Amino acid sequence: MLCEECKVNEASYTISVMVGGEITSRHLCGDCMAKMNMDIASGNIKSLLSTILSAITGDTAPVSAGQEVVCPRCHMTLGEFTRTGHLGCPKCYEAFREQLQPMLLQIHGRVQHAGRRPLSTAEDQRKRTAAETLQRQMEQAVALEDFETAAQLRDQLRALSAGGEGKA
Amino acid sequence: MNELDVVLASRVRLARNYEDLPFDLGEKPDSAAMCVARTVQALRLEENAPAYDLVRLRELTPLQRQSLAESRRISRDLMSHAAAAAVLLREEEALSIMMNEEDHLRIQAVSQGLNLGEAAEKCFRAEDSLSRHVTFAFDDQLGYLTACPTNTGTGMRASLLMHLPMLTLCKQMGNVGQIVAKVGLTIHGVYGEGSEALGNLYQVSNQVTLGRTEQELISAVTAVGHQLIDMERTLRDKALANGRVTLEDSVYRAWGLMNHARLMPKKEFFAHWSNLRLGAAVKLLSVPLERVDALLTDCQDAHLCAWEEAALEGAALDQARAKRARMMLAG
Repeated sequence: MLCEECKVNEASYTISVMVGGEITSRHLCGDCMAKMNMDIASGNIKSLLSTILSAITGDTAPVSAGQEVVCPRCHMTLGEFTRTGHLGCPKCYEAFREQLQPMLLQIHGRVQHAGRRPLSTAEDQRKRTAAETLQRQMEQAVALEDFETAAQLRDQLRALSAGGEGKA
Repeated sequence: MNELDVVLASRVRLARNYEDLPFDLGEKPDSAAMCVARTVQALRLEENAPAYDLVRLRELTPLQRQSLAESRRISRDLMSHAAAAAVLLREEEALSIMMNEEDHLRIQAVSQGLNLGEAAEKCFRAEDSLSRHVTFAFDDQLGYLTACPTNTGTGMRASLLMHLPMLTLCKQMGNVGQIVAKVGLTIHGVYGEGSEALGNLYQVSNQVTLGRTEQELISAVTAVGHQLIDMERTLRDKALANGRVTLEDSVYRAWGLMNHARLMPKKEFFAHWSNLRLGAAVKLLSVPLERVDALLTDCQDAHLCAWEEAALEGAALDQARAKRARMMLAG
């Protein structure tokens, strides 16, 4: 089998990416594999990203013109993003959401943001942070079989989501 | 306190982008200028706004830019975007707001020793000042949107600058890499090419940015930091107990060379610097750690050129490095 990156040498490595229980693979030659390893060692994650994305989208050839996904604002195509590993503008996240989800899951292991939010939703943020803390404490208490504490934390969590003040 | 014997500094960096501007403004001067103007304006609108110095990279000489990078006030990446890049500096807090790097804004703060919480607070305060007046690209599900999906979510990178000479000497860095990777962190050498770690200086930082709160990321990096500190200290204690003469010999040789050499090539400097810092950390030498750490910055190329007021190269640079080290160690 030919290397899917350079399409010149014989492929001697297989990179497997597991997404949602399904394994997809890419086949690379020694040169392309070494190049990617060097890029990763030097902190250049782009080639790894593009390899992962190619494996996920299951195709290294550019999608034919009629089907190409394009960002409506900056006109970046999915193919361009796959090659560079960089998005064109914030709107690209919406345009390529379907393709980005498995990639983000692969990189971060999760796809739901936790943590700070812009100040416009500051009050919302304070409540969310308090709720997240309570939730974690409750899970810990359950794990330690401290059900009395867990029940108290559950009540605080309910009060918080009902619009009351959390104690956390 | 602050584990200064092993940790030189803590750094937190937040990536933020303006909702309506495209990423990668290097080739888009109008949008790049807008990014700078908007950021400066937002900070001016703040009541009791702290004073920032605005520095446009294109107005600096390459050596001046390099000097900012050597002091870790700007990233090396910002230098490669010099045409459009600018930075707002607040020296008292070791705070920098880099503009037009890979992301529109990179808010970065440094604290001494192991203190990621303090560095993060400095970043958050600066971010709050800005976000009262501007809109950052944010998605309810994905968090802060960044040019590269590796930063999406919190957009936060929390890192520790660690000196790990004994773990390196005992060939433990492979194991360390595995421990660190297991918990979603990464470790790499700070100076040198590829996998080199000149001066046995390493940066430990979070790899993932999405799905964990800033506090969780800071706790994870801090926890691993403590683990590495314990491992490094145990090996240092062992060396003091079982191989004291060998350790003393390395430290005093480094002391002798740094105090008397007339030519100090960069690689050699890093090797001696590492032994010097180890000697100071385990109290074999009475030189303060702060002074040893200052050497690290002041003996780099651009700093030496600024000190000698000349564009030095090759042997002249090595000569200046040797001279600077002698003077600084003499106090």
